[in-house]
Amino acid sequence: MDPQQPEPVSYLCGDCGAENTLKPGDVIQCRECGYRILYKKRTRRIVQYEAR
Amino acid sequence: MAVLAKGDNEGGKVVDTMPLPTYHSLAAPVRKPVDKFALLPAFLKVRGLVKEHIDSFNYFIDKGIKKIVEANNRIEARNDPSIYLRYLDVRVGMPSIYENCNVESITPHLCRLTDRTYSAPIEVDIQYTVGKQHVVKRRNKFIIGYMPIMLRSSACILNEMDEDELAKYGECPLDPGGYFVVKGTEKVILIQEQLSKNRIIVDTDSKGRVIASVTSSTHAIKSKTVVLMDKGKIYLQLNQFTKPIPIIVVMKAMGMESDQEAVQMVGRDPRYGDLLFPSIQECASERIYTRQQALQYMDEKVMYPGATNNKEGRSNSILHDVFIAHVPVKDGNLRPKCIYTAVMLRRMLDAILNSDTFDDKDYVGNKRFELSGQLISLLFEDLFKTMNSQAVERMNKNSDKTRSSPLDFSQLIMQDTITFGLERAISTGNWDIKRFRMHRKGVSQVLSRLSYMATLGYMTRITPQFEKTRKTSGPRALQPSQWGMLCPCDTPEGEACGLTKNLALLSHITTDQEEGPLIDLCHSLGVEDLLFLSSEEIHAPGSFLVMLNGLILGKHKDPQRLVIHLRNLRRSNVIGEFVSIFINEKQRCVHIASDGGRVCRPLIIADMGISRIDETHMTKLRDGTYDFDDFLSGGLIEYLDVNEENNALIALYEHMDQDDVERSSITHIEIEPLSILGVVSGLIPYPHHNQSPRNTYQCAMGKQAMGNIAYNQLFRADSLLYLLVYAQRPLLTTKTIELVGYDKLGAGQNATVAVMGYSGYDIEDAIVMNKSSLDRGFGRCIALKKYTVLKDNYVDGVSDRIVKPQRDKDGVLMKQNMRALDDDGIVAPGQIIRNHDIYVNKQTPMNTSKGIGRPLTDSCYKDSPAIYKGVDGETTVVDRVMLCSDTNDKLSIKCIIRHTRRPEVGDKFSSRHGQKGVCGTIIQQEDFPFSERGICPDLIMNPHGFPSRMTIGKMIELLGGKAGVSCGRFHYGSAFGEPSGNADNVADISSTLIKHGFSYNGKDFLYSGILGQPLEAYIFMGPIYYQKLKHMVLDKMHARASGPRVLLTRQPTEGRSRDGGLRLGEMERDCLIAYGASMLIFERLMLSSDPYQVQVCRKCGLLGYYNHKLKTSYCSMCKNGENMAKMRLPYACKLLFQELHAMNVVPRLKLTEV
Repeated sequence: MDPQQPEPVSYLCGDCGAENTLKPGDVIQCRECGYRILYKKRTRRIVQYEAR
Repeated sequence: MAVLAKGDNEGGKVVDTMPLPTYHSLAAPVRKPVDKFALLPAFLKVRGLVKEHIDSFNYFIDKGIKKIVEANNRIEARNDPSIYLRYLDVRVGMPSIYENCNVESITPHLCRLTDRTYSAPIEVDIQYTVGKQHVVKRRNKFIIGYMPIMLRSSACILNEMDEDELAKYGECPLDPGGYFVVKGTEKVILIQEQLSKNRIIVDTDSKGRVIASVTSSTHAIKSKTVVLMDKGKIYLQLNQFTKPIPIIVVMKAMGMESDQEAVQMVGRDPRYGDLLFPSIQECASERIYTRQQALQYMDEKVMYPGATNNKEGRSNSILHDVFIAHVPVKDGNLRPKCIYTAVMLRRMLDAILNSDTFDDKDYVGNKRFELSGQLISLLFEDLFKTMNSQAVERMNKNSDKTRSSPLDFSQLIMQDTITFGLERAISTGNWDIKRFRMHRKGVSQVLSRLSYMATLGYMTRITPQFEKTRKTSGPRALQPSQWGMLCPCDTPEGEACGLTKNLALLSHITTDQEEGPLIDLCHSLGVEDLLFLSSEEIHAPGSFLVMLNGLILGKHKDPQRLVIHLRNLRRSNVIGEFVSIFINEKQRCVHIASDGGRVCRPLIIADMGISRIDETHMTKLRDGTYDFDDFLSGGLIEYLDVNEENNALIALYEHMDQDDVERSSITHIEIEPLSILGVVSGLIPYPHHNQSPRNTYQCAMGKQAMGNIAYNQLFRADSLLYLLVYAQRPLLTTKTIELVGYDKLGAGQNATVAVMGYSGYDIEDAIVMNKSSLDRGFGRCIALKKYTVLKDNYVDGVSDRIVKPQRDKDGVLMKQNMRALDDDGIVAPGQIIRNHDIYVNKQTPMNTSKGIGRPLTDSCYKDSPAIYKGVDGETTVVDRVMLCSDTNDKLSIKCIIRHTRRPEVGDKFSSRHGQKGVCGTIIQQEDFPFSERGICPDLIMNPHGFPSRMTIGKMIELLGGKAGVSCGRFHYGSAFGEPSGNADNVADISSTLIKHGFSYNGKDFLYSGILGQPLEAYIFMGPIYYQKLKHMVLDKMHARASGPRVLLTRQPTEGRSRDGGLRLGEMERDCLIAYGASMLIFERLMLSSDPYQVQVCRKCGLLGYYNHKLKTSYCSMCKNGENMAKMRLPYACKLLFQELHAMNVVPRLKLTEV
């Protein structure tokens, strides 16, 4: 959570798992394998879940 | 003494009547019962659960589509036939999409995730002329459109894949296939039930007249021919004629001028003559003797849709083309139609003489089931013809303009017609085909993924064609001919009860088979063509008519021999396995059927009551050297349809004598009695011990149970998915459960149930739950919801944008509800998301109508965030965030949000015996009863649930489950399974219980958890498989004080989703009136709803208005404000007055002092 230096958000390919960065207007496609679905990575913030 | 003597006497009689043992019967080796159960898994391996869907679609892809294209293979320009295009061949390729000028193959799972259609190109080879010189060109693999592909069909990439490969493509191996993926949603084309086509049905109509009707259906035309008897005279009814035509006139019009011959054709029995006499007399009294006169008579009765009066010759062409249209007319020879009419007459007269011979419309043998292949082929035929005619239209337009256009048909064919036409029909379910006068709704439905059972249940469902409002019970009743074909249990309750049916486990629906070879074969087996016979010879004694798919093929002098020969040929694979040969002694007919849509089922062939299958075959099957098809080709098993079953005597078990059946007359043996039930009712243990409606209720509830949906359930993106956290396989299983894979994708948990009263919160089927069990994860479920956000594109390259959360200069978020967002403006997986939080921070340009030219600044966008609407106080977590482009190249962001729920008071649970109940209370384990061994129940059920429901199966399940956990073996409770060992006997279970230190009757000695004292009764306790149903309080609970109102009426909104009010309806109003609580009504209907103040003119009684400037009220009718009064009435009432004004009705208010 550093506002000064925004780290570009990267996405994982749904097929090969390669990391991709996206700019606005990009086609959603993996650069490695050409798969057309990308997933967001899990948050890096600390989260506290309630287990009951 | 007297009693004893009588007994002695009877004993003596029995000995007398017993057959004396002969040498042969004593020396014969005792045949051991063969365990034929292994045939069931073998059948399902070869045919699968949804094989009928896949078979039907495969038939269309491989043969049907070729026939359609072949029949319409040439299109030519109207004014110059030498400009043409010819289709040489057609194929359906592999599923793929065409994107950015290259072809990409696609998988079903990708289509589900990205909202695409899983479709394959329809490739044709064409020959066409180019240019003015008509140069003939040929092109292969020309694509005319895309066809949605059924999963697991021969055109699907998943065809014949093993588990590993399926897993690689993200597919669940237990998923049955047989559905389509259209625009990302899974669509099933349900099986449609209809009356069979091209068959004579003798019935009575609404007026009680005897009718014989035929619905003819050919490629060219559909028509319905009705022959009816009215007041002793017989008429023909056809839509094309204004009045019924006397049948003898019709016969004469077809060239049967001699009355004697007509009577001979019907039959020589004098009773037929007597019945025909009034009709012949009527014809004679009309002075019709020749064909010409008859045609003239009929011409006058022709209904003419147009205004032209030229009726001459019309009836002749109607006789040729419309009247019993499926009987072919060769070279204008109407004799086959004459004979067919005579047969119809004969069947009708038979029914009059002997009422046994009426046909039953509800008889399954008179039904045909239309499958996806046939429905899609109708659609494709229509679209293909439309596409061709559109191409011709364009060609004509081009050549009219006499431009130097290329005159090339291949450029005028538009792919979109077929692609979009198919896609639209399957995704909406509306089959509107003008060409075939077909308008059906709800043909395809979204495949329910609520549970695995719901999915399977959808694939076997059969929907009726007639309207559901019919009060008659006939079609709803259980038909004896349904045995083994349709499940007797699985039908919905309510309006569709008994009309919507489900297939049984082993049934199969046939597809069309070639008629040509069958016809040749019949002729060489001695079937005589009727055209070579005189009318007298047709019904010669001893000979039977031979009908093939409703057409008269000829007659045979020794029908029994023909039938035996044909059946032997079928058993030795010379003719198709699904051809049915049925001899009807009453009709004196041999019916051969090879048409599609008949239900049939496999049976073991028996010779003189001895099964052809013995232990050696079964060993081979178990070793894997034999499969089900080998049994078929080896003549051990054959498929019988409902009609042919009437010629068979089917034994339930080969080793058991039943009633007084002559053993040698048995022709077939059932494979397994549990196969009369369907897939969904197959998961009930001991269903044969339950009261039958309970099984029906369970069939409906099994589809609502939460559990595991598929192996790929966590990678799917359904809009709503309910999963059970710790789903278990049932302790008490059935064979069907293992066959369909329910043990791998269970939907429930084995709960230890104590049957006792407790706490008073268990009345009316409520159950008391153990809090510690809930802590351990009993009934815990996950609800996954998908929220999609589309990034829209507008003109001039302007589009929505997704921006990072706005912060002030200290780096603090501008709005609190942006806390879950990442820097890309989208929530990240793992993040907790609460009510009113933003999950996608989208902005839309203010001005989207025209391009501004310059780049848009921040101020040109307005916020349009996607805000999560959840329940306050619940923690929901973002599970996955998926980005993909949809078909229109728009970015779509799919957030899947997970909510884990533990059971709460009001959640619905059910056992597998139609015993549903809500959770009444949750109680600490400390207060729960416990046994000496420390066993404490998970839930307590009230014993009042048993006496009236009579679900003995549930009690046996408890016993079997208890024995199962104590001895470590899964017990079975398959339907009717006790004799064959597929269900455990209560006696055996009891002895197992005793062995492990329990009481034989399943009751335990319990201590009260509250008092610590022993309970005064032994408590029936053990494990029962419990399902959590999808109805949960969290999704339903709703309350409001004041809230949103409808704009028009100013009354509170309706429904939970709109935060609506709770209606005090007319019945509640009646109660209050009866009680006399007038002020309460006033408060509910006025003050709490839509109070409104109006100005009423006391003189004219109309509504005026209040002028705020002058601070006076005014009547616009009287043009003064003298007699105005204020009053309050509901806004809806004022609205009604105004609406009446608009319709020129004047309601006036008359005010009096109270």
